[in-house]
Amino acid sequence: MAEQENGATAEQTAAKMKAEEEGMRVMVAIDESDGSLYALSWTLDHFMAASSTLAQPRSLIVFHAQQPFQQFVVPAGQGVFVSASVTDSMRKAQEENSAHVLAKAIKVCEERNVIAEALVMDGEPKEMICQAVQQKSVDLVVVGSRGLGKFKRAFLGSVSDYVAHHAKCPVVIVKPPKEDH
Amino acid sequence: MAAAAEKTPMMVVVGIDDSEHSYYAIQWVISNFLSVHGTFKLAIIHAQPSPAYAVGLSGTGTADALPYVESDLTKISSRVIDKAKELCSANSVKDVVYEVIEGDPRNILPEAVEKYHADVLVVGSHGYGAIKRAVLGSVSDHCAHHAHCSVMIVKNPKPKH
Repeated sequence: MAEQENGATAEQTAAKMKAEEEGMRVMVAIDESDGSLYALSWTLDHFMAASSTLAQPRSLIVFHAQQPFQQFVVPAGQGVFVSASVTDSMRKAQEENSAHVLAKAIKVCEERNVIAEALVMDGEPKEMICQAVQQKSVDLVVVGSRGLGKFKRAFLGSVSDYVAHHAKCPVVIVKPPKEDH
Repeated sequence: MAAAAEKTPMMVVVGIDDSEHSYYAIQWVISNFLSVHGTFKLAIIHAQPSPAYAVGLSGTGTADALPYVESDLTKISSRVIDKAKELCSANSVKDVVYEVIEGDPRNILPEAVEKYHADVLVVGSHGYGAIKRAVLGSVSDHCAHHAHCSVMIVKNPKPKH
């Protein structure tokens, strides 16, 4: 039992030291939903606000995953012929959309004097978020509780659920403010 | 420009059990979250398993064993709370509410969120041991779904078994 306590104390010291010596890397996953923008504001207010007073400043990554766009094309009737130009314009629209989403997010950060790194990856959001956590050595990942679906408060979106289980770092699931029914 | 500190203190509820993950979660929250937050109030809730439940899981319980199990569980709970108190005072965190509630943490923690009007619920990631978790499902997962506030799941970076 004494051994276990020593081990636990060593870990606690390690956690404390890490927080103080290395700048904490925080990543917020953004989609088009208001919920994710709220999650970003929440992160800025609760984790980034006093960053300048810390020995090592914290860094913020704003992350957006572009879903593979093939799923937007639904064959109907005699089948759909998707010409190269249609594919291109869809891709372009998607990139514009991503840029717009990220620009909005960066603006929110700037309003609070926080410089954030923008990161875009192609793929399923839930998997890409977890991959980004690994690749960028993220110490904390923040997600909204549900994305574009307008479900009841108790429902947890599939992305936040997946990230809660699979991310290799602490996860915060930010629920919308209580006034939002 | 928005003020960093909020006018009403942020209410943080931390759910703990008798595991290293819980103590790590407390330390993590204190070091990384509370230390940079203006004003906050902290409540540490320990869900104590009920004796019938603990005995039932072992498979060999009889009615006679229950009082012994109960006193064991109570002893464990005081040790858990003492450890939590140690962590808080080591970090100069004051005015912490400590509560031991008997029952299933999957119900207790969301209820504590309501009772304390929590803004954030913090849980470790593997509250129960591997075997119990396989039977019951994840407490942190349940809280993420059912707590009516933001949920922070603190994962212990130790390599998983």
